[in-house]
Amino acid sequence: MRFPSQKVFTKDRIVTSLFFLISPVLVGYFVYVCIGWNVVVSLSDWKGLTPSYNIVGFDQYANLFQDPVFLTALQNNLTLILLFVPTSLSLGLFLAILLDLKVRAEAVFRSIYLLPFALSFVITATLWAWMYNPSIGVINTLIERTGLGFLKSGWITDPNIALYCIVLAIIWQFSGYTMLIFLAGIKSIPESQIMAAEVDGAYGFELYRHVVIPQLKTPALSAFVVLMVFALKAFDFIFVLTGGGPGYSTYVLPLMMFRETFSMTHFAYGAAIATILFLVSLVIVVPYLYLSFRREKE
Amino acid sequence: MRFPKFRRLSLYILLVLLAFMFMLPLWTCFTTSFKTVEDVIYTVPMEPPVSPTTEPLRTAFDIMERPLLNSFMFTLAAMILSCLLGSINGYILTKIRFKGSNTVFLLFTIGIFIPYQAVLIPLVLTMSRLGLYNHIGGLILTHTAYGIPITTLLFRNFYGLIPDSLIMAAKTDGAGTWTIYRRIVLPLSLLPFVVAAVFQFTSIWNDFLFGVVLARGAEARPASVALANLKGTTEFQWNVQMAGTLWYALPVLVVYMILGKYLIRGYMAGAIKG
Repeated sequence: MRFPSQKVFTKDRIVTSLFFLISPVLVGYFVYVCIGWNVVVSLSDWKGLTPSYNIVGFDQYANLFQDPVFLTALQNNLTLILLFVPTSLSLGLFLAILLDLKVRAEAVFRSIYLLPFALSFVITATLWAWMYNPSIGVINTLIERTGLGFLKSGWITDPNIALYCIVLAIIWQFSGYTMLIFLAGIKSIPESQIMAAEVDGAYGFELYRHVVIPQLKTPALSAFVVLMVFALKAFDFIFVLTGGGPGYSTYVLPLMMFRETFSMTHFAYGAAIATILFLVSLVIVVPYLYLSFRREKE
Repeated sequence: MRFPKFRRLSLYILLVLLAFMFMLPLWTCFTTSFKTVEDVIYTVPMEPPVSPTTEPLRTAFDIMERPLLNSFMFTLAAMILSCLLGSINGYILTKIRFKGSNTVFLLFTIGIFIPYQAVLIPLVLTMSRLGLYNHIGGLILTHTAYGIPITTLLFRNFYGLIPDSLIMAAKTDGAGTWTIYRRIVLPLSLLPFVVAAVFQFTSIWNDFLFGVVLARGAEARPASVALANLKGTTEFQWNVQMAGTLWYALPVLVVYMILGKYLIRGYMAGAIKG
């Protein structure tokens, strides 16, 4: 359907066009112009509070890859992604299968598992700060009371395991979400297929392995992209829980971008980190969107 | 699927155990909020307080009151604006269409996924130029702009289900584009508005990054930033910290309990055609 071509300037059309123009202007400016502007800043030598758009090329990027702090942050980001994404996907799938077993009060369990995902990262970070507190926190107290005192640990205050503590907490927060996506995928498989497989003798977890799970590629891909993008830009949670510490043990790229830019006023340097984050997320998101758009057209 | 009785039982034990692990952090937050400093030290975190007190809740509220009010103001305003704009976009992109409308939609959709770090510096510069730094208006504008991509996606999915023939019929009756939107599309939009509103309310309310770069000052400071500050300033007063967490979590918890199923629909759409 198209606009009628003869009357171009009816009042009606002008009103619609004006309302519709607001969004492209806002998104165009705040997303695309700002991204471009950020790239320009990253090519400059802007340091300190006075803006400088003196273009020096890729100096900042070259410096980044020689900066041990950047390499540490990059490595932490990768560790985070490698541990967090597969574990959240598997745990979510596991929860979805459990709830698919004709469980009574399924809705109650589902709401409980999904609840952490609805909460702000500032809330979950505060909650886990209390969980992990070494002296009187929940985990160490629990461990002590059950006679497993030797397992007590400094948790987020121990640089050797702080990053794993963060991964555990964000798995807690996200596996309800992956569960939800998988559960919807399972529910969309036609009942007749399941019954046919059951007639063929597939039973229990066999049924899931051979019939259900192979059909969950689409939800798995959606969840994968969402988790990847999150793991890449994870800021709030780590900023509030550990601030990147102890030392640089939980320092990740988004944290470094923030610190370099807003605490140390290394604007060009921070902008370069932001540009790298943006490019990496494009590599993940664009093929995915391309696939979804093509699937929609079919 | 049918299971022998024994395995059924172990399934439920597993489910309850998992539920316990998922709820533990929230439960201890709740119990700790009602404890005196002595109770925090001498009782197990999971236990209810020995001498319950509302003192921590009152102390935390005094600190969080103004930020909570700020958060309510910009969250509601940006929620309404982004939903209205998303609705108009969804309508144009599904029912009017124009040359390049698919490209516009694609460009919007990318906006859902970009790491906001990539826009932070220009955003801060823009807001200070506009005089909206440390200002509720700056947060409203920011959250509206970055909310448009997801609300457009939500409304577009719903409006795709309205038959084109309905629009065509109205058009033959001489109704214009805007009239069709107001008289036909909008009255059918209650469900997508609830879904988008619930989704936007929770995500704007939960935001920390925009708040911390745009409104660290007291004038417009969001509750998320105030809670992070509270965590820094009350290092050993866990009861006050947990009480502050409870206050900030409360609106989302209420929304989740009452309108959870709509929020779930928003999450599903966010995963683009799962």
